[in-house]
Amino acid sequence: MKKLCYSVFVAFWSSVATMLALHALAAEQGAKPAAGAEVKVYTLAEVRQHSKVDDCWMAIEGNVYDVTAYVDKHPTPPSVLQPWCGSEATEGMRTKGYGNDHSPAAWEKLEEFRIGKLAQ
Amino acid sequence: MRTATTLIWILALLPAGLALITLWDTQWQSPTAVLAALGRLAGVGGLGFLLVAAALSSRVPGFDRAFGGLTKLWQTHHRLAALSFLLLLLHPVLLAFAGAGQLGGNPATAAVTVLFPSWDYWEVWAGWGALLTMMVFLAPSFSFFGQPNYQRWKFLHRLAGLAILLALAHAFPLARALPHPWDYVIWITLTVLAVAAVAYRWLFSRAYLSGIVSGAGGRFPYRVIRKEKITPDVVEISFAPEKEPLRYQAGQFVYLTPYDKALKSGHGEEHPYTISSSPEEPEMRIAIKDLGDASRAIQSIDIGSHVRVEGPYGAFFRSDYDEDSELWIAGGIGITPFLGRARFMRETMGEVDVCLIYCVQDASRALFAQELADIARDLTGFSLHQHYFREQGPLTLEFLQGHCPKIAARAAYVCGPPPLIALSRKLLGKAGVPKNRIRTEEFNLL
Repeated sequence: MKKLCYSVFVAFWSSVATMLALHALAAEQGAKPAAGAEVKVYTLAEVRQHSKVDDCWMAIEGNVYDVTAYVDKHPTPPSVLQPWCGSEATEGMRTKGYGNDHSPAAWEKLEEFRIGKLAQ
Repeated sequence: MRTATTLIWILALLPAGLALITLWDTQWQSPTAVLAALGRLAGVGGLGFLLVAAALSSRVPGFDRAFGGLTKLWQTHHRLAALSFLLLLLHPVLLAFAGAGQLGGNPATAAVTVLFPSWDYWEVWAGWGALLTMMVFLAPSFSFFGQPNYQRWKFLHRLAGLAILLALAHAFPLARALPHPWDYVIWITLTVLAVAAVAYRWLFSRAYLSGIVSGAGGRFPYRVIRKEKITPDVVEISFAPEKEPLRYQAGQFVYLTPYDKALKSGHGEEHPYTISSSPEEPEMRIAIKDLGDASRAIQSIDIGSHVRVEGPYGAFFRSDYDEDSELWIAGGIGITPFLGRARFMRETMGEVDVCLIYCVQDASRALFAQELADIARDLTGFSLHQHYFREQGPLTLEFLQGHCPKIAARAAYVCGPPPLIALSRKLLGKAGVPKNRIRTEEFNLL
């Protein structure tokens, strides 16, 4: 048991180090989007224009996201996301429709699709 | 396996079992979903094992007997903790791999985002804190970096409390594998068990010492009244109770804390030792071999020194066997529980059926040889057979059968170093003693 624990302990740090190394290499290759650009403000009416799965915007916690590119990659089928396209989707993000919040990683991922803020 | 041990395993597996049921229908459609489900299962299972291991961390005198003694109880504690550690190491790695599939984009970047999100996600960092703390306090337990020092191991092991707090801070906000409110019910129940165990150590067992509570177990003040040098590296110390005496059975052990500032090592430190006296004696005797810093220093403890005795622990000799005839195999200082029982038998029984095989390097290493020979002479049915492995090599089946009749019909007890225990188990198996009638006690509590 002691040997097994030690082996898994070493394997754990090897895996984490590998992921970090690959991440560093990927960051080196991929160009970062320009920071500091002016934040665009959208009204809910503008968001409502994009209510299809192949053109899907969502307003979540005061920000506006264009998640069209992610709809196919989302773990659940597009039909689950479709009702939230073009609408205020904070509830969907926070509850997944049955009371469970999305994971911290999912929230971080969402930030990649932010296009601006929602007009108050 | 004993009922108490089985119940403990059921309790430890309960969270993972329930999580498996809820994850079963929905979560196995793609490799990503499988990795995510396994990652959650590993987290839930690991926390379940961790909390139950914590609940078993407390030495409540008497409680350990249901598990077959404190050594057996701690084997279970050790196994639970090791499984918990393995699962909790897998948990973040599996979830990172799942994230690599779920989040899209560069897989390594996605995995790193799962593992190291921004500081706003404090619950994820609490999980990291718990895992890193576990690595620190378990490293000596699993001898990651060589043989541990007993006191340092004990000190670091207190970090387990911090690891559990951080693990709970991580699990409560993120829990979603178990259906609500069952997740809260299960985690709170297991946490209460763990806290109760630790609270016992810190509050209740101290209350015994101060005399607030009196009973059959706890901490007892004693005083050193006599020392007898048995061999150059073994001393038998006699203690007299300062208040009420500890009540024990032959072959049980205690944690002994000497208070003698003149000691080179071990002042105020507790170490486990087997009681070598008969429960009928007014004084308590403990035979101690020089095996480490503290047990070397205690050889020269001053007469009149105060000690604290906590116990009794262990359940080496069982009373629930039908067999009246017994085979004892002792190695070196492993003679102590047998010595206590032999002294008890001489005082209280007219006739017994006991074969004692005492294995030592050579005749000069045989401890209490004269006293044991006297008991063998006085007590009908008690036979003593020395085995010297320098001359005769390792213990053999022929030796056992040649000196002890009807082995298969006896209850067998073995106490000594781990290689002798392993060899004895093999030989006793060949001699036809069923496994559930072989009892062993190792002097290895880490």
